[in-house]
Amino acid sequence: MNHLFDPNAQQTRRQFFGKSAMGLGAAALSRLLQTDTSAQQPQSVGSNSGALGAPHFPGKAKRVIYLFQNGAPTHVELFDWKPQLKAMHGEPIPESYVAGKRFSTMTGNPQGKLMLAPVEPFHQRGQSGAWVSELLPHIAGVADDLCFIKSLHTEAVNHAPAITFFLTGAQIPGRPTMGSWLTYGIGTEAENLPGFVVMTSVTKNTSCGQIFYDFYWGSGFLPSRYQGVKFRGGGDPVLYLSSPSGMSSSVRRGLLDDSAELNQLAFENYGDPEIEARIAQYEMAYKMQMSVPELTDFSNESKATLDMYGPGVEEPGTFAYNCLMARRLAERGVSFIQLMHAGWDQHNSITTELYNQCRDTDQPSAALVKDLKQRGMLDDTLVIWGGEFGRTPFIQGDINNRPRWGRDHHPYAFTVWLAGGGVKPGMTYGATDDLAMNVAKDPVHVHDLQATILHLLGIDHERLTYRFQGRDFRLTDVHGKVVTPVFA
Amino acid sequence: MVRGKAKTGLNMKLILQKHSIKQRGDWALSKRAYSRRVVVISFIALVFFQWIQAIGSDFNAQIRPILSDHCFQCHGPDGNRRKADLRLDTKEGLFGVLPSTNSEKSSIHAPVTPGSLKESLIWERILSDDPEEQMPPPDANKALTPSQIESIKKWIESGAPYETHWAFIPPTLPEVPDFSQDPTWKSWTRNPLDAFVLRKMLEEGLTPEPEAPLNLLIRRSSLDILGLPPEPAAFDKYLNRTDDKTRPPGALYEEWIQEALASPHYGERMVWPWLDAARYADSNGYQADRERTMWPWRDWAAKAFNENLPFDQFTVWQIAGDLIPEDSFPENNRSTRMFEAQLATGFLRNHMINGEGGRIAEENRVDYVLDMTETVGTVWMGLTVGCSRCHDHKFDPITQMDYYALSGFFNQTPVNGGGGDPQTAPILPVPSIEQNQRSKDLKSQIQQMSLKLDQYEANWSDLVGGLTELKSPPENIGKILEQPTERRNQNQLSELSEFFKESAPNYAKDLGHLASIKKELDNLNGSVPKVMIMGEQKDRRDTFVLNRGLYNQPGDKVTAATPGFLTKIGKQQDSQVNQDQTESRNRLDLANWLVDRNNPLTARVVVNRFWQMFFGYGLCRTPEDFGSQGKPPTHPELLDWLSVEFQDRGWDVKWLVQTIVTSSTYRQSARISPEKLEKDPENLYLSRSPRYRLPSWMIRDQALAAAGILNPAVGGSPVFPYQPEGVWADATFGNKRYRESTGSDLYRRSLYTFWRRIVGPTQFFDAAKRQVCEVKPTRTNSPLHALQTLNDPAYIEAARLMGESLNRTATDSERLEELYKRLLTRDPQEQELEVLLKALERLRNSYSKEPEAAKALVAVGASDPDPAWDAVESAAWTALISMVLNLDETISKP
Repeated sequence: MNHLFDPNAQQTRRQFFGKSAMGLGAAALSRLLQTDTSAQQPQSVGSNSGALGAPHFPGKAKRVIYLFQNGAPTHVELFDWKPQLKAMHGEPIPESYVAGKRFSTMTGNPQGKLMLAPVEPFHQRGQSGAWVSELLPHIAGVADDLCFIKSLHTEAVNHAPAITFFLTGAQIPGRPTMGSWLTYGIGTEAENLPGFVVMTSVTKNTSCGQIFYDFYWGSGFLPSRYQGVKFRGGGDPVLYLSSPSGMSSSVRRGLLDDSAELNQLAFENYGDPEIEARIAQYEMAYKMQMSVPELTDFSNESKATLDMYGPGVEEPGTFAYNCLMARRLAERGVSFIQLMHAGWDQHNSITTELYNQCRDTDQPSAALVKDLKQRGMLDDTLVIWGGEFGRTPFIQGDINNRPRWGRDHHPYAFTVWLAGGGVKPGMTYGATDDLAMNVAKDPVHVHDLQATILHLLGIDHERLTYRFQGRDFRLTDVHGKVVTPVFA
Repeated sequence: MVRGKAKTGLNMKLILQKHSIKQRGDWALSKRAYSRRVVVISFIALVFFQWIQAIGSDFNAQIRPILSDHCFQCHGPDGNRRKADLRLDTKEGLFGVLPSTNSEKSSIHAPVTPGSLKESLIWERILSDDPEEQMPPPDANKALTPSQIESIKKWIESGAPYETHWAFIPPTLPEVPDFSQDPTWKSWTRNPLDAFVLRKMLEEGLTPEPEAPLNLLIRRSSLDILGLPPEPAAFDKYLNRTDDKTRPPGALYEEWIQEALASPHYGERMVWPWLDAARYADSNGYQADRERTMWPWRDWAAKAFNENLPFDQFTVWQIAGDLIPEDSFPENNRSTRMFEAQLATGFLRNHMINGEGGRIAEENRVDYVLDMTETVGTVWMGLTVGCSRCHDHKFDPITQMDYYALSGFFNQTPVNGGGGDPQTAPILPVPSIEQNQRSKDLKSQIQQMSLKLDQYEANWSDLVGGLTELKSPPENIGKILEQPTERRNQNQLSELSEFFKESAPNYAKDLGHLASIKKELDNLNGSVPKVMIMGEQKDRRDTFVLNRGLYNQPGDKVTAATPGFLTKIGKQQDSQVNQDQTESRNRLDLANWLVDRNNPLTARVVVNRFWQMFFGYGLCRTPEDFGSQGKPPTHPELLDWLSVEFQDRGWDVKWLVQTIVTSSTYRQSARISPEKLEKDPENLYLSRSPRYRLPSWMIRDQALAAAGILNPAVGGSPVFPYQPEGVWADATFGNKRYRESTGSDLYRRSLYTFWRRIVGPTQFFDAAKRQVCEVKPTRTNSPLHALQTLNDPAYIEAARLMGESLNRTATDSERLEELYKRLLTRDPQEQELEVLLKALERLRNSYSKEPEAAKALVAVGASDPDPAWDAVESAAWTALISMVLNLDETISKP
């Protein structure tokens, strides 16, 4: 007889483990996963606690919804109102504003470029009096819940490196993204769902969409279970989620019970605790199979809620659909929800495609803030809205050809807004000069924003580190200072 | 016990003695201490032994890692950031006189004074509770643990012995521990590898597990060597044999290993991690992600493993195959070998290519050069050279200058970095045998046809006889006719044919024929895969240090050179070397330096990675980092023994693999006792066979093979197995659409799956990204992985086909036995049979109530269900087998 299967040769797993795995709840299962003895660390979709054990200090925010606007929205048209820019429309940019600055190869030398006024008027909104363009009436409507940071600046001038910089703290792909750092550090409350979920969308028929690289939600050198899980717009929301046709959930349940039983027999023979982890892994898979369809079923949402998110909310793959999904994921304890919407790269479509872009994103973004607030979730949910850089206050294209007006990449100053999660509502932080060209007051570097986000979650950005190739890496590299004035 | 000032004399003597023993291989002590045959231990030896225990192990194993991790960041190799001009990563720095700035505050004159804590500044600083003085500084988050402090104390007190970092000392052949006189272990130590492992194991108070039974050993080694389960025929050959009574135990297993090593599937398995390291993919990466045809390089690499190309040649070819002098190839198949050596350099060109609009060509080009530099740094040197891209290395003595000097070797390729052409020259067309033959045929047809046309044209008046009104042809036709027949292109030929259609119909017909042959040849040439390879341009580029790694911020000019702290390059390392020779160093010099006998790194790094393929982890557990922040090897003498033997035996990979898989160490059972789990949870000391989940690609290949549907074809252009709809389209806004393969291409080995760089194959998990070089496998247990192997149609279809192939006239139990034999190479035990039979009944019941569901399940996959099977019965088996395909034992190394 095969000695591995001699029942007398080994203690039973009951003796070994103390109690049966089958009767344990999800939290216990995820603890079980941590009995992994290999050099790899424990894993699960819903591993409740992170590497830090507890946050460094109590944080207001428990989760993040990042509404990432790929392609770089024009701060000049949307948030950063400059009367002087309007006054100087069509005049060349004064040399002093651009001296020594590098722009993309599309602009090259900025000298003599003509100023371009925003295409739509601005108004002051709410109690706070924040200036918001008529292009974004819904966001304007929740201005008092938002904190505008108008003094962001970054180092990269091309999309992929700049997005990577925002999400990982480095321009070169391969570092862990913010969501990975967060779930690695403080874990997640989600029991049957991944702690870090990503959804992407793009405005239909846009000519300026940027590809979503999977390293935008990669875990880099962190264990791969911290990688963002991309929920898809079509087909199974999670790859391979559905059982094959002809396999009902009761058949699947029965098979998983059989397999747990057989795996336990193997455990008794091998004594390898990894087998217990395997049982838990398959249990988790089943729980995901059961919970995701409920997650994507909007039938229990009221008409008022659906209407609030606007047209397209019930159509998978739209930004509106993803925003409502973001709220539902937040309700289920997902820690980092990263929505990415492409199409903001208006090199020659400020008077055309920008309007579509605003139409598709304005209402759902505002609805998400309102919805979270109504449900009392805004206090501990941090919403971030913004892109990877801004756009030039001067024109790209011919000033006499209005239908082809555009703006090029602009890393020197741009706007991002935050809401909830311990951020002071109804405030504006930082300012640009009179042409929205450079930061004039309270600059906020990308690493500063990252440090601030982590701080709101109770994490000291200097102490959330991971050893790779002999070095302790962090999201903020060796930089970053927390922008405390934006805290409520 | 022999510490303290009073015993300094003895202390010194012991140090000397210890060192002299170290040179002989450091093992005599342990052998004496543990060998059961030692009856009398002299007093001196006892003192000796306890003293060694008391001071802990040597500098490299214990002290350097502490200094590296806690001090080097500010007091290490990076001269620009070094604080207080104090350097602790060199012998001079550690023991030398302190720079004056330090001695102002303290009367101590050296960071470390051997034997004296009081006169060692680092000790004073470690103990200090003044936050200004304390080291490491409290705000560095690098506090030392009490046991680390104790280690440093003991080290200084015992005379602070110092050694160069282990990986930078060329390996020498250590003496093999001798168990030949030990009746307990004599037979266990089958080869020297076992002797080293056993000695360590015994030192740690562990003993080996018994040998696993032959059936499991065959499955284990089959997966390790071929990436496939053993074929049923192997059972009859090795397991059901009754004639082996007279053979020595284990002989059958060794025979099987010989057979496995000769299989063409061996190369397919060995090449997978090589592709991860080589960042091999079938597309460029980045925005446009255009498809490339590097796969002939992939096939060459697999073939090289099968032919057991010596690893030094394997190395030199891939780095500099284009520069090897013709006469150094053997005469008998020189042209083939030269072609292969050129093809091999595709290794370096496997990097991503960025074809985004607005990208600056030179920026791309520099990216590619640095990618090659860092890949070679990881794959052959095992060093994190990339850390020196922007500044001197923080932990290892690699300066930023070293980094760019190394990049100089790759800086002479005639590539300018512009555009996203996935076949950017220099390229090598690699026709298949059929394409080659067809091309030859077409060329000879062209020749014949041209001769025929020449004959027509020799007599112009005959030819234009029908064109009475023309004395000579119009200008355009004339011009074409002036060209030699063979040179005329397809369009010109068609034009002629059209012109002479009426006047000389036979001539025109032949012209048309020639045009179509030329067209076919053009198409053929277009479809021949072209592999990007290396070349050297005539005008040599200057290489510069790039500030912060930026292409447009060149600093000092450098010449191509290997890092200064390692052995010097080339045979001309002596004083005769003149400036010209330095200037003209090229990749071939680098490649030869890598495989030079005096290079301390390459053989160790390479052997370590092969070890990792068979034990899950390397002897050095940081295969990507042999520097001071890497993990010291668990078995340094074994690593050195293997490295030296490997080189002595001509870099013979099959020898290495065979030595590993026939060792007793490898043959142990994978069972884990609670005691061992407690004592050595990570299995550092190999007192059991490692047990871990198979790579995802192997899980798929195993399922296909066990189901009998694996298409065993070797090599060729990539294929497109099942993938959920819309994955490519989603990622590329519809620009790329996945077109599933049909027929037997769906069942090719995973190796041949098309690898799109920006959205990799969905059926693999924990796989390398194939974007940059990766040499360390990841193994995690996400539920997403479970969903994949549960629901991917590939597994459901394999389950159905496996069921259909079971003997229909056999009983359920017999069929289950057959199933287990094929998948797990063993019989199911009684309790397992009970569970399986019960499950089968339940499934039959539920599918007979839902015949539609049964039909749906058996319809999964592209192949048609076997009409001989009733759908309900087939569905029950399909469901059951898909569960068995997901069992821990199925997806784990046995």
